[in-house]
Formats: sequence, structure tokens, C-alpha cells
Amino acid sequence: MQRIYITARLNGVNLQFDEAAYVRLESYLAEADRALDGNPDRAEILADLEQAIADQCRQRMRADQVAVTLRHLGPALEEIGPVQAPGVESAPEQPARAEPRRLEQVSEGALISGVCLGIARYLQVDVTLVRVIAVLLLFVSGGSMVVVYLILMLLLPYAPAQAGGAPIGKLPTKSREFVEFVRSKFSVATS
Amino acid sequence: MSIEAKLTPIRKGLLEFLVLKIVGARSVYVPDILRRLAGTEFATQEGTLYPLLSKLRREDLVQYQWQESDAGPPRKYYRLTPAGQAQLAALDDYWNRINRTVSDIGS
Repeated sequence: MQRIYITARLNGVNLQFDEAAYVRLESYLAEADRALDGNPDRAEILADLEQAIADQCRQRMRADQVAVTLRHLGPALEEIGPVQAPGVESAPEQPARAEPRRLEQVSEGALISGVCLGIARYLQVDVTLVRVIAVLLLFVSGGSMVVVYLILMLLLPYAPAQAGGAPIGKLPTKSREFVEFVRSKFSVATS
Repeated sequence: MSIEAKLTPIRKGLLEFLVLKIVGARSVYVPDILRRLAGTEFATQEGTLYPLLSKLRREDLVQYQWQESDAGPPRKYYRLTPAGQAQLAALDDYWNRINRTVSDIGS
């Protein structure tokens, strides 16, 4: 059996990696790329890091070793440490409380009442996609989509307003007033 | 809140100051800076230092020059710009003042 190595180009230096090490390298660099998101010097910092990784790995390799393995890369990355943007608190921070995902409607940035926006947020997809599908369904369903929308609009809870969220448009404000009016009637009727 | 959680932001805030001090003393490349900080409370890794140096460079406080090395690829040697020297002097001065205040208060 022949071992297959992968050649990675680290800041202009070609190095061979075995598969496990290559996967680890890729995930480290992807993580670094994420941490530097929006940093104007991202490319340069990544090049510096690649150089550091190449140097560290080569220091750890014996002359007769042709490829970087996890035995080299692990300690190398350990020494280089995770990429931290300056000024950003990254020490044992409270991990963002994972809120249970709820299907809600979102008034900020809504076109009608925010049902599509809420669905998009719930499914973590682009809202435009949800809206296009909704419009298509509207035509295909011959209008019963309108009823579905109204039901969802009346039933779905409103997502709490977020600081710095988009302003609430005229129609969403009206629809919200309408929903609250209907709900108040309904709760009076049932109480 | 644990003591460590209170000390971390102090260290983080001072790291930039210390890096300016190290770069201000003489022209250095990254392993020099890491070695200087290793074993102190401010021991730092490349993953933190490279982004910090690039931020300082963007703020025009440090600049680097490529220098050939005997072993391996050329290295970036960092030194302070005039603006960096001015800022280091101001930080040094401020540091001495708060140091005095801290030791005066409560004694």
C-alpha cells in the first residue's frame, strides 16, 4: 500500500501533510479566517500564520521525515495558539446562551407581518428565498396561501425587538395592530 | 467573578503597551517578542501577536522591514514609527502616573 500525502502551500512554502494533519490544518486556517473576518489585514495575517505553521512544523520534523503528521502539527498549533483579534475578549467568556429556536414573526424589516422573515430565521435560510417560495405558493395554491399566511400571522408570537434592528415599516405596524386587535377580541370572547 | 476573570482584561489591555515597549527598545521580529514575553504574566502566542501587530501597523505605530535570514525565508523586523514613539512615551508617562496613584491611595 502506498501512502498518499497532500501538498499544502503555506505562504509560498510547499509542505507535505498526511491526511489527518491536512484536515487539522484546514480547520485551523478556517477558524483563523473566521476570527479575522472584517479585518483589513486578514490576508497578511493569514500569510504570517501560514509561515509560522510551516516554520514550527519543519522545526519538529526529523530530516528523514517527508510529511507533517499530527505529531508535528498538534504541538505546532498548540504553540501558535488560536487566532485572537486584538481588543476582543476571548478568555473564558460565557458562551452565548443557546436559545431554543422558536418560530415567531419578526416585525423589524418585515414586508407584511414578518411571517416569512420569522420562517427564514427559524430555518436559517435567506429570507428572499422564503418570500419567493411564498409568492409561488400563492399562485399555485389559488389563494389558499393567503389564508395560511393570515393564520400564521394571527398565531405566531412576535419576536422580541432587537437593539439596532431595522425600523418597523408602515404595513407591519398596521398588521401588528390588526393582529393585536383580533387577539384581544379573541381573548375577551374566550375568557 | 473569579480573580482570574478580573485580571485577564488588565493583562489584555497592557499587552499592546508592552509590545510597543519591546519594539521600541530595538528592531525585533516576532519570535524575539514572544521570547521576551514568555515566562512573564504576558506570555503570548503568535495567534494573538500577529493580529495585534497588524493593528498597530494600521494605526501607523509600528512598521516592518523585510530582512534576509541565514535560515529560511526573509523575516519581518518591526520597529516603531515616530507616532509609535510618541504614543509609547505617552503610555509610559500615564502608566507611571496611575502606578503612583494606585500606591498612594489607601496608604
